Amino acid sequence: MTWKNTADHWGPVSQALHWLVVALILVLAAVGLSLDSLPKTPKYFWLFTLHKSLGVTVLALVLLRIGWRLYAGSPRPLPMPRWQVHAANGTHALLYALLLAMPISGWLYDSASGLRPFRLFGLVTMPKLVAPDEALRHAALATHQALFWILAATVLLHVAAALHHHWIRHDATLARMLPERRS
Amino acid sequence: MIRTLATIFATTALLAALPASAADYAQAPGSTLAFATQYDRETFTGTFPGFTTRLSFDPANLAGARLDVAIPLAGARTGNPDRDTTLRGSDFFDASKFPQAHYTASKFRSLGNGDYAADGILDLHGMRKPVTFTFHWTAGAKPVLTGKASVKRLDFGIGSGDWADTRLIPDAVAVSTRVVLIPR
Repeated sequence: MTWKNTADHWGPVSQALHWLVVALILVLAAVGLSLDSLPKTPKYFWLFTLHKSLGVTVLALVLLRIGWRLYAGSPRPLPMPRWQVHAANGTHALLYALLLAMPISGWLYDSASGLRPFRLFGLVTMPKLVAPDEALRHAALATHQALFWILAATVLLHVAAALHHHWIRHDATLARMLPERRS
Repeated sequence: MIRTLATIFATTALLAALPASAADYAQAPGSTLAFATQYDRETFTGTFPGFTTRLSFDPANLAGARLDVAIPLAGARTGNPDRDTTLRGSDFFDASKFPQAHYTASKFRSLGNGDYAADGILDLHGMRKPVTFTFHWTAGAKPVLTGKASVKRLDFGIGSGDWADTRLIPDAVAVSTRVVLIPR
């Protein structure tokens, strides 16, 4: 067994990073969508801090994932029409871009709002990316919210395609992102 | 006749001069009232636009000195709309119920070198408590008063509920002001 990615399977590092980011995004989306309706009092601020902290974690994991993919390669495309290969590559590129842009726009929003210190998981004080700025605060929040819906749509497309390949075309698209069965 | 006219003129001149007596002042543009505190050990500042000052002050007659400051609270600005909303809200100023704070002082002490202290009463959030205001007096055609006070927010019920935790927001809030004055 190799840690790296092989010609026909994603290795354990890429798989772990993929599914870990999936889990984090689900928590981030659930918390993020509820933040607006929470009372803005210290009792609930840990949820804001959790959302920001998990977001920065995703940023780090996605950077790691891209780095690992560049180092460890990626499996060959499965036999499928050319347009599907292009569509898949385009979707993956968009997902990587969104997974970087989401935490960066969120962090920018936090920085521009200048509301309170951002301590990662309550422990490490994170730097502010910019000085407090009302116009930038608005722009960053609008971007963060718009990107979320684009991300949600892209993830939906990604999942639909994976399930289509798995259940209808019966190829290994999904299986190669899952742990290999012991033979 | 001439004597009567002269008396009338003199009296009129005297009356006209009275309201413009050097001891009575109103606030001129360029004045600021600010506060500084911390949230989670990070300092932030705010201002109270629209505050008005009336002052009777003569360094040679401290017994006759009077200070009256009206501070509209709904307009308090801290550079973040979320924080401003919270500040106006019922956990803090409750500005819809208590739209203004008042500071009045009639006991003044000289601290030397143009420094003075006023032992006054702050009426804030429906509570009246003594607050000492220390200031420096720069005399002139437009005298300038620069001063500061430390206000214990919890004495006035500012920041209730889970905002009362002094590890998040210290009790003492630093208030500072620079008032440019014009005779009135």
